[in-house]
Amino acid sequence: MSLFKIYVCVKHVPDSAATITVLGSDRIDANVTFLINPYDEHALTEAARIRQQHAPAEVVAVCLGPSAAENTLRSAMAMGADRSILVVTPQDHDSIFTARALKSAIAQDGEPGIILTGKEAIDTEGMQTLFRLAANFGLPAATNVVKLQLQDAAALVECEKESGAVDVIRMGLPCVVGAGKGLNTPRYPTFPEIVKSRKKEVKKIDVAALGIARPASRVEIIELKPAVENRAPRALTGSAAEIARQIAAILKEEARVI
Amino acid sequence: MDKKYDAIIIGAGVIGCPIAYELAKKGYKTLTVDKLADAGEGSTAGSCAIVRAHYSTVDGVAMAYEGFKYWLDWRNYLGNVKDEKGLAKFMNTGSVLLKSKGHDWRKVKRNYDVVGVKYEEWGLDKIKMQIPVYDLHEFWPVKRPEDPSFFDDPTNLLEGAIFCPEGGYVNDPVLSAHNIMRAAETKGAEFMFKVEVTGIRSQNGKVQGITLKDGRRFDAPIVVNVAGPHSFKINQMAEGVWQGCNIKTKSLRHEVMHCPSPEGYDYLNDGYHTSDGDLGIYYRPEVGNMFLIGSEDPKCDRQEWVDPDAFYAGQGGRGRDNQLSEAQWKAQCYRLGRRVPSLQVPNQPKGVCDLYDCSDDWIPIYDKSDLGGFYMAVGTSGNQYKNAPVVGHMMAELIDTCEKGLDHDKKPLQYKLPHIGRLIDVGFFSRKREINRSSSFSVNG
Repeated sequence: MSLFKIYVCVKHVPDSAATITVLGSDRIDANVTFLINPYDEHALTEAARIRQQHAPAEVVAVCLGPSAAENTLRSAMAMGADRSILVVTPQDHDSIFTARALKSAIAQDGEPGIILTGKEAIDTEGMQTLFRLAANFGLPAATNVVKLQLQDAAALVECEKESGAVDVIRMGLPCVVGAGKGLNTPRYPTFPEIVKSRKKEVKKIDVAALGIARPASRVEIIELKPAVENRAPRALTGSAAEIARQIAAILKEEARVI
Repeated sequence: MDKKYDAIIIGAGVIGCPIAYELAKKGYKTLTVDKLADAGEGSTAGSCAIVRAHYSTVDGVAMAYEGFKYWLDWRNYLGNVKDEKGLAKFMNTGSVLLKSKGHDWRKVKRNYDVVGVKYEEWGLDKIKMQIPVYDLHEFWPVKRPEDPSFFDDPTNLLEGAIFCPEGGYVNDPVLSAHNIMRAAETKGAEFMFKVEVTGIRSQNGKVQGITLKDGRRFDAPIVVNVAGPHSFKINQMAEGVWQGCNIKTKSLRHEVMHCPSPEGYDYLNDGYHTSDGDLGIYYRPEVGNMFLIGSEDPKCDRQEWVDPDAFYAGQGGRGRDNQLSEAQWKAQCYRLGRRVPSLQVPNQPKGVCDLYDCSDDWIPIYDKSDLGGFYMAVGTSGNQYKNAPVVGHMMAELIDTCEKGLDHDKKPLQYKLPHIGRLIDVGFFSRKREINRSSSFSVNG
């Protein structure tokens, strides 16, 4: 039986808890902690689950990023990836170029059984790369996936829509799946797994070596402006029971978290 | 006209509040001022609030053990005060000191015997039975994950542990300071928040009072510096005080990590506070079934001394609720990961970053000063939270006896710990002392 290859595309992003400072007009102060994109953690956790159920299989993490992104790939391997590929680039790229680079790196490595990634990156929030990657391969794609089952050379997925509705989709394999938060609880590595990941391979490819065709037009960042957070505190009054009711109503109707 | 008090306390943290409380109980009309919005919101809020008795000196053990008696009887200590926020809870998990090369546990054991601290000696089987998730290998010496030998397989086993059943931690350090403030208020103590001290006034070698940033002045013949990480700045404002201290204080950036407990292990309810000198960390349960992981400041870790005003303003490193460093996150979590191999370490650091008010030898200064009427309870170095009620009582005694004529520098106050009856030489905490070489020079005290 041939090896079922599960590729997981991951991005090296600033920690969401970091204070982002804009330098000049179009870049951020990179002197903050960079981590694996949190949505990609769900993709990795799912990939590890699929590997168990569809042996023989391997999980390969793929990243386009600076040399420092090796750290993110080490995290990916500690979370279960068997090996990884880093396409090294000194600069940021738009989703058109990123998808081409990821496609090229994956195609050079092997034939994907399935490709997983986070539904978006928390830095650019573009939500395009996974679709462009699927298009480059000519594969079907689904995003914000909260349930994934592989059966009979197809993927049965449930995608959560903004309205709260759920689409149930059947896609032939291979396909591209954008992991949503509801897909699973990320399984973080234990110390022995971290030790093992240190010995796993990170294959580095210079982006220039992939010979990616420059797209005719591209997205450029002209200006970055820090988001201004306007807090609008309001005091709730009344008895404890009334306040509790008001809080429940706010959480339900405004924040929509319960 | 300037408003007059008998004593002004600078800092409404967990040490400042009990000093106000005890002075008020003695009949002093006190005012406590703080830069922040409420009691305990400064570095107290970042405290791990551990209540343990293992210290390297007999007096250190005695003071901590005396502190237990307050935490175990919190409601009574507070005079059954009603606090609208509720009362802080002492989580009596018991305290495990792993026998390792990282702690002089034999000395601790001797000190326990001298003071009469209740304890049990646990062999490896007993530890394994009580805490099945621990790997009891020896990992000494403490290393950083950047050092490849950090990942070496261990060969030796630890010797065992000393278990102190009365130890634990306080679930909400901010609330504990707030509780003491409410208790102090019932005795007439006043508190003023969101005010910053910019001057300590004095005349003819005697302190006169404080001046605030908004220009208001308050007079008192007694001023007590309990300003936590800002303590050295307050000392510098008072005539001759900084210069008169042989031991100085400064502020140290410190990170505490929160890492989820392994799957299937209810650390919150079944876990123990543990001091693990073998790995240079200590840990205790935290809300959400988390491990709270503190550092025992091993020599291989870099110390970052910072200006407290710049730190809290978010310059050159972020404030309490802000960013932890990834390198330290890995160092502390991976160290615990050696002891608890089933621990899962998330990629994103979570925890608390705050400041220690640290003295040159990591032993606090509880003393008068070279300026008449100016006292200090400073340099608490991340290890005095548990002693706060004891320090409140002891400082009130020190202030009262000095004001009544005691020359504490020549004939140091011998303070009797009310619960355990032992005498403490308060001169041990003198600003004039030479650096105490028997100190651990760490949070262990």
